[in-house]
Amino acid sequence: MLLQQVLQGLMEGVTLFLIASGLTLIFGVSRIVNFAHGSFYMLGAFLAYQLHSRVWPGTVGGFFLAIFLGALAVAALGVLFEHQVLRRVYHAEELMQLVITVGLVLIVEDAVRFVWGQNDVTVPLPDALLGAAVVGKTYFPFYQLAIVAVGMVVLAAMWLALRYTRAGIVLRAATDDRGMVALLGINQGTVFTSVFGVGSFLAGLAGGLSVAFESVNFLLDSRIIVAAFIVVVIGGLGNLYGALLGALAVGVVKALGLLWAPRLSMVLIFLVMAAVLMTRRLRGGVE
Amino acid sequence: MTPPERQTAASGRDDPRVRWFPVAAVALAAAIALLAGPPLVVFALIEVMVFALFATALNLVLSYSGMVSFGHAVYFGIAVYGMALTITRLGWPLWAGMLAGPVTSAVFALVFGAFCVQLTAIYAAMLTLACSEVTFAVIFQWFELTRGETGISGFVPPMLGLAPGVYGLIVLAVVSASILALWRIVYSPLGLTIRAVGQNPARAAALGHSRRTVQLIAFVISGFFSGVAGTLFGAFHGNVFPDYLGTLITVNGLVMVLLGGLYNFAAGIYGAVLFKILDNLLAHYFQYWQVAIGVILMGVILVSPRGIGGAIQWLARRLPGAQR
Repeated sequence: MLLQQVLQGLMEGVTLFLIASGLTLIFGVSRIVNFAHGSFYMLGAFLAYQLHSRVWPGTVGGFFLAIFLGALAVAALGVLFEHQVLRRVYHAEELMQLVITVGLVLIVEDAVRFVWGQNDVTVPLPDALLGAAVVGKTYFPFYQLAIVAVGMVVLAAMWLALRYTRAGIVLRAATDDRGMVALLGINQGTVFTSVFGVGSFLAGLAGGLSVAFESVNFLLDSRIIVAAFIVVVIGGLGNLYGALLGALAVGVVKALGLLWAPRLSMVLIFLVMAAVLMTRRLRGGVE
Repeated sequence: MTPPERQTAASGRDDPRVRWFPVAAVALAAAIALLAGPPLVVFALIEVMVFALFATALNLVLSYSGMVSFGHAVYFGIAVYGMALTITRLGWPLWAGMLAGPVTSAVFALVFGAFCVQLTAIYAAMLTLACSEVTFAVIFQWFELTRGETGISGFVPPMLGLAPGVYGLIVLAVVSASILALWRIVYSPLGLTIRAVGQNPARAAALGHSRRTVQLIAFVISGFFSGVAGTLFGAFHGNVFPDYLGTLITVNGLVMVLLGGLYNFAAGIYGAVLFKILDNLLAHYFQYWQVAIGVILMGVILVSPRGIGGAIQWLARRLPGAQR
């Protein structure tokens, strides 16, 4: 039972990491606190629902292809939003940027209600993912293992890209000191747009994967964005590896909380965050 | 792309005088509407006034002290619980209960604020959210004390048992007095210190002002007046539910301030009026009215970053005979 909850927690942790990593990458480079990130996640989920019956329905490949295509569409939307709207407010104050993203949250939420209605939509899992691996007395459902595996693959790809590709180097440099990167003759607009696109892609991907275990409805955005911000804040804004630790911790705490104190699991997470913030302050890390 | 110099209200007009003529005109118009209007208008007006005070109190934190609060509904809703519980559990008289409301809020703001001002920016904002979520959960779960979801009612007759117009006048008086008090605070030496800390904590520190202490003071003042708004709201409906300190109230308050225009003292008033109009008109004819709010918010930032307040000031400066 315990191990099973831990796996459940890891699975949620992996999707949380995907959405939080996008959030933290975007903040690291462009200093935008993007509230619309949860909306991208929700769109990813709904697009996966829309597409799953079109591409090889019922197969594992089709299931993940639908999620991937949905995430690509979300990335395109993110690029459009960055290029047309956010770009105008990079010089404005933080609160103004925040308001812009909140505006997008409201628009997307109503658009989703308009297109897909108020009720939950469900995506049937392909048969191949319905079983479970049995170890002793513990059941590990295949779809949970698959999601954790996909998360690992994305994580590995991100790590390799950040470490070895030119784009990754530019991104890390821009997180450190974007003014310096501009002085080196690298087009800032391109960097900001691509980072926003990648971040939105990750959010869409996380949302698509969530159809396996979340109830997908128009309230998904506000549910997830709070959790994503908790993860990012625990890990430290702009810190990718911190986000990984934070996501796994939040996922597992939430799953174990569901086991022992179901109605308090979210409170538990907030308390963990508060404790992390206060201890980090004592070491002088958050100011 | 370097971060811009922080701009706040002080960078625009900084005139501490109350312009009594528009204030009196608005108050008079409201009073006439309260006494002569049909019940629906009176009810809408009472809610607008209550939320105008709540948003103005929130605006003190947002526009002047340099903090962001994602959990301000706590200080709105906990006041009603403070009032309800002192009346039902401790048997306090009505007037004492209504005083206990805002004081409860101030105490909560003091305790939570003391933690939140230890951090800055988004970290502090997330901590305000955590405080509000945890309080909400406690209120929701602690059935023996708060009766959870069922809420508490009957601790005061709706509208104190008065006619709607009369209760409306009381609300008008209390809200006007509170907003004028907030105005006085913003333009007092204390307010100047709050604005200094909000604009540039480092320079304020060089003058000997601790960011934490000053922000905590602003937070408690804001909490207190949020509690005044909450108490008026609770007495209006004669009941209290956990939702009074839920996310929706927080978000609506934020949207009102942003619509009204950050760094403008009257943002809460403009925002509450516009929000209620949009809420009432659009929600009736158009199910998807959030889109409208979203588009307006984006448009406001892109076209007139100072919101409606900024647009009104811009117009006022261009009217013939306006003082520069």
